[in-house]
Amino acid sequence: MRLLNSILASAWMGWKREMSWTNPVASLLIKTVAPTAAVLSAAIVYWFGSSFVGLFTPERLAYIIVGASIYGQVAAYAYVPTAAIAEGKWSNLYPQVYITPSSTVPYLAGRCLGSFVDSIPVVAISLFVSYYVSFPMFKAYPVIIISPVSVLMLAAALIVSLPTAMALGYLLGAYTVFVTKFEWALPSYVSGLLMIFSEALFPASVLPYPFSLIPEILPFTYLMRASRDALIYNSWSLYLGSMEYLTFGGLVFLAIGILIFRLAEDSARNKGFIDKKVM
Amino acid sequence: MWVAINLAVPLLSSLAMALLYGSTGLTRYEGFAILGGVVLAFWGNVLWSMASQFNWDKEEGIFEIYLVSPAPISAILVGMSLGGILGTAPSAAFVILIGWTFFHISINASWLAVSLTFILTLASLYAMGMVLSSLYLAYGREAESLNNAIGEPITLLSGLYFPSIGSGSPFPFAIQVAASLIPLTIGMDALRKSVFYTGSVNSVSLDLLVLAAMAVVLLFLGDRALKALEERGRREGTLVLRLR
Repeated sequence: MRLLNSILASAWMGWKREMSWTNPVASLLIKTVAPTAAVLSAAIVYWFGSSFVGLFTPERLAYIIVGASIYGQVAAYAYVPTAAIAEGKWSNLYPQVYITPSSTVPYLAGRCLGSFVDSIPVVAISLFVSYYVSFPMFKAYPVIIISPVSVLMLAAALIVSLPTAMALGYLLGAYTVFVTKFEWALPSYVSGLLMIFSEALFPASVLPYPFSLIPEILPFTYLMRASRDALIYNSWSLYLGSMEYLTFGGLVFLAIGILIFRLAEDSARNKGFIDKKVM
Repeated sequence: MWVAINLAVPLLSSLAMALLYGSTGLTRYEGFAILGGVVLAFWGNVLWSMASQFNWDKEEGIFEIYLVSPAPISAILVGMSLGGILGTAPSAAFVILIGWTFFHISINASWLAVSLTFILTLASLYAMGMVLSSLYLAYGREAESLNNAIGEPITLLSGLYFPSIGSGSPFPFAIQVAASLIPLTIGMDALRKSVFYTGSVNSVSLDLLVLAAMAVVLLFLGDRALKALEERGRREGTLVLRLR
């Protein structure tokens, strides 16, 4: 119960932080603009390239819009634990969380949960806007199936992806406890690499061998696949297969993430990095 | 280290877009994505190290030192721009090198036109950074949210990876007109012409004129805005107030 309370309190604080401590509507609008623009950029690149060679299809447009929208959520996660630890060092919050017994792991879990709650409307709005501006821009609607069942399937996939997101958070947190500046550098690389290796914009087969094998071992790839199985292909068999990988892969990834974070935290304490900051 | 850190976003974004072009079957436009990555490195520098620099300096207590120095604030910003361009150039060069190595991009460049276009694009882009800097000085810590909000939409409207104005643009005419007010839009359009379509100086002369005019106007606006905000800040006592 105490663990749950810690996670929920951190999630509430994380949600307020993600909202920049401001009006939720204003914050949501500001936060939605960038991911929506990124989704449209990817969709336009596809439209521009495929129209030129006469290979444009609304199904593939849907593939890109769904993948890019979900990727926006994944990319947002990548920065949350980094921000929680880096800002926490600046404001002395993180050392205080640290000295409270067994608090850093639930604290980061709560911050990820806050970001998760915060990013759901962003994904929904990105998908909605991209869908509706597709016709004026591309003269075609992406083939996206919006029904109570498909939305529930997508919601389930996002919820099941939470351990994966938290695992990434702990791994990046393990790095952030040691750095005192340029904390955003590694998350930038990680989110950029996920754009290439998680099938966010194109299938793994586009990548040259052996790079094309990397997406198969990343749980994020199965989140993309499950989201598309729900919203585009509406296929239960494909969806359940992707969900199986996402669930088990995510749990294994989470166990590894927590283990590495704990080891890093112990090492950082011994070396005096927990409260180290550059003035 | 600085080069490696700054390389992440432009390199990986442009690689992703180049692979997306490749996946559509149109490999000859992969170069558009790499060129976009090169300019994105500078646009990121304008946004994060130019526009918001004074705000961060204010938070760290360095801004007071600028104020007591005999140099005008706008001159300090111009100096920062030159430093920013030099600091970003290696990252941009890496994007070109890696893009060239992996995608074997064929170019058909008029180097005089490319050089002139590139210089004027950077001049107008960094002048826009000066205007944004004055805005961020006024809005304080909201600057970061503004940066996060405007970065991607400007990337989209300016057509960093695809033509956003003229033939091939997916946008309606009114949006193309609005996009043309952003120096990056004109610069990218001219760069694509001069790098990939043997655009001679004559063929991009109108773009060069517009970019030069934008640079002058934005420099003037930035200088006036900085002076006005500095004066207002001095009167109201908010110039070096932190966490606003």
